[in-house]
Amino acid sequence: MSTSTVPLKLEPVATVVSRTPFQNALRRFTRHRSAQVGMAILGFLILVAIFAPVLAPYDPIKPIREAKRRSPPCVHVLGCASDKPQYVFGIDSNQRDLLSRIIYGSRLSLEIGVSTVSFAIIIGVILGAVSGYVGGWTDNIIMRFMDVLLAFPSLLLAIAIVAVLGPGLINALIAIAFVSIPVYARLMRASVLQVKDQDFVSASRALGSSPIGILVSHVLPNALTPLIVQATLGIASAILDAAALSFLGLGAPPPTPEWGLMLGEERNSVFNAPYLVFIPGIAIMLTVLAFNLLGDGLRDALDPRQVNVK
Amino acid sequence: MKRNLYVLLSLLVLASVVTACGGGAAATEAPAATEAPAMTEAPTEAPAATEAPATEAPAAYDGMKTEAPNCDYGGEFKSIEAVDQYTVKFSLCAPDPAFLSKVAFAAFAIQDADYLNETGGDTAKINEAPNGTGPYVLKEWVRGDHITFEANPNYWGTAPTIQTLIFRWSAEPAQRLLELQSGTVDAVFAPAFEDFETIQADSNLALIPYDSPNVMYLGMNNTIPPFDKPEVRQAIAMAINKQQIVDLFYPPGSSVADQFTPPSITPGHSTSGDGAKWYDYDPAAAKELLAQAGFPDGFETTFSFRDVTRIYVTRQPQVAQEIQAQLAEIGVKINITPMESGAFLESVAAGEQAFFMLGWGMDYPDATNFYDFHFAGGVPRFGDEWPDIVEEIRAGAQLSDPAERQTHYDQVNALIKEHVPMIPVAHGAAADVFSASVGNVKIGALNENFQEMTTDDGQLVWIQSGEPISLFCGDETDGETFRACLQLYDSLLAYEFGGTKAVPALAESWEANEDATEWTFTLRQGVKFHNGADLDANDVVATYSALWDAKNANHKGNSGAFEYLVGFFGQFLNAPQ
Amino acid sequence: MSQFFLRRFLLFLPVLFGITFVTFALARLLPGDPCLIALGERATEEQCNAFRERFGLNDPILVQFFRYVGDIAHGDFGESIRNKRPVMDIVLERLPMTIEVTIGAMIFSTFFGILLGLISALRRNTAVDVVTMMGANIGVSMPVFWLGLMLAYVFALALKDTPFWIPPSGRLSSGVTIPPLTETFHWKQMGGPLGMIVTFASNMVTFNALITGNFKVLRDALWHLVLPCIAVGTIPLSIIARMTRSSLLEVLGLDYVRTARAKGLRERVVVLKHAFRNAMLPIVTVVGLSVGGLLSGAVLTETVFALPGVGTQLVSAILARDYPVVQAFTVVIAIIFVLVNLAVDMSYSYLDPRIRLQ
Repeated sequence: MSTSTVPLKLEPVATVVSRTPFQNALRRFTRHRSAQVGMAILGFLILVAIFAPVLAPYDPIKPIREAKRRSPPCVHVLGCASDKPQYVFGIDSNQRDLLSRIIYGSRLSLEIGVSTVSFAIIIGVILGAVSGYVGGWTDNIIMRFMDVLLAFPSLLLAIAIVAVLGPGLINALIAIAFVSIPVYARLMRASVLQVKDQDFVSASRALGSSPIGILVSHVLPNALTPLIVQATLGIASAILDAAALSFLGLGAPPPTPEWGLMLGEERNSVFNAPYLVFIPGIAIMLTVLAFNLLGDGLRDALDPRQVNVK
Repeated sequence: MKRNLYVLLSLLVLASVVTACGGGAAATEAPAATEAPAMTEAPTEAPAATEAPATEAPAAYDGMKTEAPNCDYGGEFKSIEAVDQYTVKFSLCAPDPAFLSKVAFAAFAIQDADYLNETGGDTAKINEAPNGTGPYVLKEWVRGDHITFEANPNYWGTAPTIQTLIFRWSAEPAQRLLELQSGTVDAVFAPAFEDFETIQADSNLALIPYDSPNVMYLGMNNTIPPFDKPEVRQAIAMAINKQQIVDLFYPPGSSVADQFTPPSITPGHSTSGDGAKWYDYDPAAAKELLAQAGFPDGFETTFSFRDVTRIYVTRQPQVAQEIQAQLAEIGVKINITPMESGAFLESVAAGEQAFFMLGWGMDYPDATNFYDFHFAGGVPRFGDEWPDIVEEIRAGAQLSDPAERQTHYDQVNALIKEHVPMIPVAHGAAADVFSASVGNVKIGALNENFQEMTTDDGQLVWIQSGEPISLFCGDETDGETFRACLQLYDSLLAYEFGGTKAVPALAESWEANEDATEWTFTLRQGVKFHNGADLDANDVVATYSALWDAKNANHKGNSGAFEYLVGFFGQFLNAPQ
Repeated sequence: MSQFFLRRFLLFLPVLFGITFVTFALARLLPGDPCLIALGERATEEQCNAFRERFGLNDPILVQFFRYVGDIAHGDFGESIRNKRPVMDIVLERLPMTIEVTIGAMIFSTFFGILLGLISALRRNTAVDVVTMMGANIGVSMPVFWLGLMLAYVFALALKDTPFWIPPSGRLSSGVTIPPLTETFHWKQMGGPLGMIVTFASNMVTFNALITGNFKVLRDALWHLVLPCIAVGTIPLSIIARMTRSSLLEVLGLDYVRTARAKGLRERVVVLKHAFRNAMLPIVTVVGLSVGGLLSGAVLTETVFALPGVGTQLVSAILARDYPVVQAFTVVIAIIFVLVNLAVDMSYSYLDPRIRLQ
């Protein structure tokens, strides 16, 4: 029996485009309907924040002496008489232009969201990494402390911390950041634990890599996905918490154009100048919505289960 | 391993709690029960000090007397004596023509002597069951929500026409008005003036303006830098555009304040002299003065105020921001710090606030209520008092002739302008709003005639700006608190409804000696306290002694400051050094 | 089973301990001399010494801490600096209101959240689904106090003279009161924990009205609760709706559901009887997690609706630097939160037998 040694020539039937997992995720993300909406809103917000001095018609803090207090919105394009000065969102109780304050407030909100979450992530990641890697008593103590922090509803713990530190924007930010740390610590720790006992890690150690090297090259990429998703959602809730603290008078002091503070100051006006309450609230809602949608999109795009599902 | 660890930890926790429980019970003082506490302070320096008044006519009345050894202690009272069962005599160290007005004030409501001893004069205990002689009895105080008063069936005066009087509160004027428009309340304190037009256009509502001399001022503490420099205070005085503040944030009828006392207080308000007109608004000159004082680039400071509306300012947060904007123009940066009303008042009285916004609504219609209380009262509100101001104020307080008094007050105003302890900003126009169905409404600067009003169902719901702090007004200073006390208690005299004249209340009649240093009051007979006790002269002496004598067993109150006693009558007897 | 419960309960204790420690530390970190804060700046040195002796502030920190723990175990939270009332009294007065709003909001959000999620899952990818989910996204992004203000505007002002009007503030209409339970049932005023429970129950107006049969007061109280509960509950509603939808969709894709359908069972039976029970687990998790948000939301909305609960008291206590009150409320709320989480954990074992056997 002679075996044919002619190699089989296999013709490719179809071309398969190979993509890295990252490219796959990006594709899913950009196709995700909610993420698209979120990105659009966020893009708009970032532009507004960057170009605030150009876009805002008036100074957000100095009162406009000629304006009548609490004038309703006057937009010439929408029918307001052209001899009256244009105040797109109206004037607040201290003769300041609401549109300008909202525009500058976007800067503040983005700064608040990013700074609190950055601070919380840095500390949380360090704590989580140490906890997961070292294990033992250190792990226990750190995680119990995280449990205790999580035992308080986050806004209330933030309020209690502000009560200690005193009202003020920086103190409010510290409080909110502090309260957000446990989530990131837990995430990081879970990722470290996932990777810690695998063979390639032991191999790496045997080859002489330091723990930090392992952390950076193996653990972080693994942890990055949930961290990013959580961070996006974290920015959303940080903005809400900061607005809540300012609303209660425990956060940004007057005359800062912070949206929550604007709501708090004009709380009274809801019955005779409702636009002063309605508009800052919409601003907060749109910003938070953008981050929430973004986070949802990221979660769906990066969810490992979805890799196999069409 | 982990499980054992947890079990161990938990047992440790349990063990510590148990030991702490056993040990803690001994160490901590549990909140006191309501039996009479044992007081260990020394008794007053009084010759006779028994309490139980004899009610049989033939036996001699065992009247109390509290007496100061001499008049050097710095106060106005020399002695307070129960001459007989229904006669009380006050001997003063110096003439006081305003004495009757002072005595009518709500802080000097008369308590029953036995009840005072039972509660030890402790506000917390008195709050649970206030015991007065007034037209209403406390039915319930649901903290944070409302107070319900019910007509006192044994009231000595005309029976109240409102059977059930309910006080509610909300810090937001717009919310208060909304409640009235919705029909859930019948009367509102100080609606927002932006709503005056709406109110006047609504035939179901009645806007009730009333004359209430008041002043809003910005206080500065001369012991806290940089306000210890007179140039700094003067500079700030020149940098405030008062007309703008009044135009923007005050109701129609309000006026700019050029002096501390409003024009209707005479003698007191100056029409001539250095103190008659304030510094002109001149930010450029202010900046120069600041540079001279060593602050060419300005400075930073806190600016505090209380979170409730009053007649003298209804838009505090907005006014604060306006002041912030005005001072920013001369380089002074203020950090707006709203504080809770009670804590704020205490802090200011303790001299802790550097720069603050406060005001004053008249307690009784005399200059002494304005000047003495603020600039000679021994309270470090503005830091150290100025001896020259104090001297002129005391001089004016002891004369009877208005023209003579005015010369002293002219001096006072001039000195105030020179030293600038505070900057008077505005005199606020005052108005309340009632439902049109409420009848016989008489609102005055000092009280409201709730007990005489009429409604369809005999119930009246009044909503004010804040919750009363307590129901023992001897140690309170807040107007919302006094209003509640006025329903439950009486003082020797009272202010007539719709006006400010002092009229008989618990005292039927009185006489004074020639130089107004001795005042003898004859008490009404047959007056009963809510707990059934009878009113007699010892109750009056006991009440005043608890406020006046620092060593009195019942000198407890709320914070122990008794500001009105000190403010009206100078100083405590046996004051701690 | 009992070992599971015991283990979960024992785990609760260290956390409780940690909470007390954190609050104690927070209080000790406070700036300012407590003597001067309590007695005022003019307190003399000897008065301050007496004060410190009285409150044991001269003892070492650990002793102070254990005494504090003991006090809390006895229910003694100290005295309010502002008006010298025992803080426990203030807690018993204020907490029931917040609990009422929280429970009301939870009922509202759970019921409508599950309902909406169910409808969305069953009508997947139709207009109903898209609109509901969009609404849920918006709901999650709203500041709760803003929603409260908007609701107050609509129902109290815009609908003022219509039958849909709802009062914008207060717990009961003026003049409507309900006597405490001790009065209605002619009980003696008792002390200790039992007395506290009775006071607490009395102050919970809806509960009080319910068990004393006072339906007029019950109706009035519930009417005043409508707006706050909607405001507070909308955000958890959105979260629950989304979670219900995704959880149900996941379960509906599983094999045994396909089997049930293949057997010819009606869709309603398939969904409600077979799929729903298994979908409940994540939903219960989310409901439990949202209690924290409900509590915070209640605190915020109280200031908007002028309800005499924890929120208004906490904020004014902070502005007044009344630290014993702030401390007490923080501990109490944390304890409630932990207990609810414990209950949620326990309910897992009921819903999922596999966990019980671990």
